[in-house]
Amino acid sequence: MTTMTQVAVPTGAEPPVRPRRGQAWRRFTGNRLAVAGLVVVALLFLFSFVGPLVYQTDQVHTDLASANLRPGTDGHPLGTDDVGYDVLGRLMVGGQTSLIIGMAAGVLATVIGTAWGAVAGYVGGRMDAVMMRVVDAGIAIPALFLLLVASAIYTPSVPMMIVVLGLVSWLVPARLVRAEAMSLKTRDYVLTLRAIGGSHRRAIVRHIVPNTVGTMMVNATFQVADAILLVAYVSFLGMGVQQPATDWGAMLSKGVTYAYSGAWWLIVPAGLLIVLVVASFNFIGDGLRDMFEVRGKNR
Amino acid sequence: MADIDRPARLSLTSEVKGVPMQHPLGGRGPRLLAVGVLSTSLALAACGGDDGAGDGTGSADTQGRDSITYALPPNATPNWILPMALPEYMATHNAAIRRALWTPVINVHGASGEVAWDHTGSLATDVEFSTDGRMVTISLDDLSWSDGEPVTSRDVEFWYNLVDANKEQWGGYAAGRIPDNIESWETIDDTTFEITFDDVYNQDWLLYNQLVNLAALPTHAWNKTSDDGEIDDHDRTPDGAEEVWDYLVGQAEQTDSYASNPLWSVVNGPFTVDGWTSTGQVTLKANENYDGNDPAGIQTVVLQPFTSADAQLNALRAGELDYGYLPASALDQQAEFEGRGYVVEPWAGWSITYLPFNFNNPDMGPVFQQLYARQAIQHAVDQDSIANVIWHGTALPTYGPVPQNPPSDFLSETQKSNPYEFDVDTSIELLTSNGWVIGDDGFAVCENAGTGDGQCGDGIDAGTTFEMTVLAQSGSTETDNMMSELKSSLAKAGIDLNIASEPLNQVLGQSVPCEPDEDACSWQLSFFGTQGSWYFNAYPTGERLFGTGATANFGNYSNPEVDEYIDGTLTGNDPDAMHNYSEALALDLPVVWLPSPAYQVSAFRDGLEGTGQDPLAVFLPQRWSWAD
Repeated sequence: MTTMTQVAVPTGAEPPVRPRRGQAWRRFTGNRLAVAGLVVVALLFLFSFVGPLVYQTDQVHTDLASANLRPGTDGHPLGTDDVGYDVLGRLMVGGQTSLIIGMAAGVLATVIGTAWGAVAGYVGGRMDAVMMRVVDAGIAIPALFLLLVASAIYTPSVPMMIVVLGLVSWLVPARLVRAEAMSLKTRDYVLTLRAIGGSHRRAIVRHIVPNTVGTMMVNATFQVADAILLVAYVSFLGMGVQQPATDWGAMLSKGVTYAYSGAWWLIVPAGLLIVLVVASFNFIGDGLRDMFEVRGKNR
Repeated sequence: MADIDRPARLSLTSEVKGVPMQHPLGGRGPRLLAVGVLSTSLALAACGGDDGAGDGTGSADTQGRDSITYALPPNATPNWILPMALPEYMATHNAAIRRALWTPVINVHGASGEVAWDHTGSLATDVEFSTDGRMVTISLDDLSWSDGEPVTSRDVEFWYNLVDANKEQWGGYAAGRIPDNIESWETIDDTTFEITFDDVYNQDWLLYNQLVNLAALPTHAWNKTSDDGEIDDHDRTPDGAEEVWDYLVGQAEQTDSYASNPLWSVVNGPFTVDGWTSTGQVTLKANENYDGNDPAGIQTVVLQPFTSADAQLNALRAGELDYGYLPASALDQQAEFEGRGYVVEPWAGWSITYLPFNFNNPDMGPVFQQLYARQAIQHAVDQDSIANVIWHGTALPTYGPVPQNPPSDFLSETQKSNPYEFDVDTSIELLTSNGWVIGDDGFAVCENAGTGDGQCGDGIDAGTTFEMTVLAQSGSTETDNMMSELKSSLAKAGIDLNIASEPLNQVLGQSVPCEPDEDACSWQLSFFGTQGSWYFNAYPTGERLFGTGATANFGNYSNPEVDEYIDGTLTGNDPDAMHNYSEALALDLPVVWLPSPAYQVSAFRDGLEGTGQDPLAVFLPQRWSWAD
């Protein structure tokens, strides 16, 4: 998990300084790990979503006659698993699940957290206190625990995982945006808007939220990485999406059963992809932070 | 599952050497099964793997040890203690624990290599049938409860009265059997009692399948209706017996109090409960006041639960277990575990494995009622591949209600020959010739509703999709894979199978007989057979499984013709009775027949003695001990 302790929160009275597009991109590309992360993520998306169009395998029906084949056997570059699924094709299908859940849950968490934090920070007072106590209470409950409980009650599916992950992951972004909103609402341009009769809603939607976009984007990348990891955790514990659907965490969990049988192809590729995608999203987040963090850097 | 109070699971093996069952009464040659056991040689797929010298973690010095840690089946936690189980609490491990606490009146066991009356582990010393065959006189040994009171005939009568007044709730009940078939019960003296039956029954069946239900309960401690209630003969009136039953069942439902509740401290077996955690870890300690013939050979036995077979395997690899098991997926690591100081030995079972249909399910019940639909499902099950690939050869196909292995005289030719071979095309043909069409999504939809030829059948509306959900036991890679394979092969036949995985206790708790309008009838198919679905007594009769209204007839199957066949197996001496029964249910498909896995492939420390494995799936911890 990654925290956002280094995200910039503008404090001056003037409107937040936004870096010019060219400068921002240069700052992002100046972070080589971020660029590498972006490339890896792009490749993983291609692998997961375009790959099955090129390398076509049956990932719905089992094929016990072809179970447990070693890599390179009978046209299976990465072998087959214990019910005959082609492992390379399965990694592609599993990647779709991991990436879809990760991206969607990350976006959902960011949207909910931004809305909650913006309202709490802008309104302030008792409502802020109540709303933030809700956040505090939510943070006190481990997300993994809630996810496992939900998986035990409802049959795990991709939409269910997205909703549950989104609902347990919005707390941190809510805190970050709330902190920014408390600062932004005292800015002259917001006060001016109110003085000329602008509504609270307009202030939040047109001025508060847009000025937190940097924080949101950086946080969203970490949310995506965290969501992919959470999906992997839950699947590793056997409570992920149900067969024949799969994700990288579920593949890793199943592969570990054969860890002492020498079936490395059931473990290494899935584990490697999880590490790659999570690290890449974190690198991208770091790059975005550099991009939006203007203080102390060239403008 | 299958015992009296112990129905819920177990297993089978590939080559069980048949050893004729020892006849308990001497004389008459039993045509019973020969469930030899020990000499089983499971086809352990020892393919490669690390030949493992191991690091010796498991071969810890056993000298001087006075405890044993035993691994419970995956995701199965003990949750019942009362020696009269409700249907949903009949898992084999529950029964085994109870038997360690309360010695059965008649214990039938097969750990020695033959299934026979185990006198050492029984309260009864003698069972004598009258010449007309309707009466049996049972003599008890002179034994004591742990509080010093003697075990008497009255204690067995107490059990009978409770069961008689509450039979519908008792998991061992089947209509027309004990207690229904008992005409009178008479106490002769403190250690002798006499039972008169309502008819002349097969005496082997009576002994091995009926009298094994008898239990002695401490009437001097349990015959009350509340914690502070007065001990009295409450059980001798039906109302009083119901109150006592309700009280005892209420206490038994409080698993967190098993170690502290004074009720459960009064035992007559070789162990007492020392600990019973909410997570299912049970600690037994030797009963210091035990005065029977089967004392504990070890001071402390810890029964350890695991959420999965893999977790258990890791504990075994780390040397944390004295008696565990290898999942089928780890059989290629046999040499490694032997190198670590474990003896690897398959545990054969006298069992069958299946998915019960819930014939009363309001959605799919009408579909399941149609024989052609059940045939379509069975034809789509590739038992040979499941047994060989998924279970790595440790399971064997099952084609009917009688354990397929070891071969026995009970098997009909029809069941031996597999009447519904794997053939997806036949499945599709069965559906399409009975009013179903395969839709664009690949799944069958009833197009021609009605009850005539070529129509879907009674109660099936047009537009009904052939979609069903199985409630499957979790925690086992092999079970997960088998469910995936079933989903896949059924999909090829146009049948959509959804899989909902839950821990064993939850599956058993939900898979209960029900009426269509009850909430409890929402389940459609159920699987609780990772170690075999049902373990039989010596006679593999089906009155409790497939008899109309039987408590373990979870799917509400009812067929008057089959009921007659079942009756025929219990009474009279028709040699074809079991064949008729076997054939009828092999053809009628009251359940989906699946390969029966071995109960487990055990791995126990070299030096651990008394590990004979009972095909009836009962373990006897009192027989375990460390070699000197």
